[in-house]
Amino acid sequence: MPTIFESTGTNIKKSPAGKKNAVNRSMGPLTYFAVNPSGVRFETQQSDEEIVLFLRQHLIVNIPWLLITFFLIFTPTVFSPILFRFIEFPFVIPAGYIVVGTAFWYVFTFGYILVNFLHWYFNIYIVTNERIVDIDFVHLLYKEFSETRLTNIQDITYKTGGIFATVFNYGNVFIQTAGERPNFEFVSVPRPDRIVQTISEQVEIAKGDHP
Amino acid sequence: MTQTIPEIVFVVLKILILISLILYAIFSAVIIRQEQLMAHVLEESFEPILRILVLIHFFAALGILFLAFVLL
Repeated sequence: MPTIFESTGTNIKKSPAGKKNAVNRSMGPLTYFAVNPSGVRFETQQSDEEIVLFLRQHLIVNIPWLLITFFLIFTPTVFSPILFRFIEFPFVIPAGYIVVGTAFWYVFTFGYILVNFLHWYFNIYIVTNERIVDIDFVHLLYKEFSETRLTNIQDITYKTGGIFATVFNYGNVFIQTAGERPNFEFVSVPRPDRIVQTISEQVEIAKGDHP
Repeated sequence: MTQTIPEIVFVVLKILILISLILYAIFSAVIIRQEQLMAHVLEESFEPILRILVLIHFFAALGILFLAFVLL
């Protein structure tokens, strides 16, 4: 069974930069919160750089498109026959068109699932012992890769609100950086309090303020 | 009462469907390319399965296009 959530426990605390932490776990396809994950690397990761936190949006954000998928899957077999019972066409639709139309419907549904999953899967936030990385798969033809050094971070806050966010414990983390560098926003990430705490600790270590 | 549709309507419909399916096949090829690019950005163990899925989608789109050429 794939790991979808890995608790930080206390292992993340006071993890010195450049030193391997005791917790190193493999990632699953649905992992959205992982501490010191193994088997994952990103494009510009340096040889001495360690991933401390690996984040995706909370799984719950996928519910809307999963509901639409459910509707798309059952439309040809359940909803269409009900609809056609009440609508009488003044002409006969050739069988070839019905076969191609139905087949295309399911391929389109598959494509819809794929695109939405890719959008979730490749929207990643990474905290390393040196920097913060935000990889955005905005849509099919546009991706964004932004990063900032931990020493540039000035302020970290998080915001959580609403029924779902409270029940499932997710929210937005805002990271303010120095100067004219872009600010970072981790959207709908799980356990925002723990993320803020972890980043703060890493910033302290990076700035040499840690005892 | 069931009526017969003029042949020209089917020809126009067939051309429109084929154009749509060609565009969809191009779209599925773009997904493959984008998945490759993103897999380069993030290396993870699940990536080969993801690549197989996008390839299945692409070949399914080509299959539908072929089916449309044959059946319509």
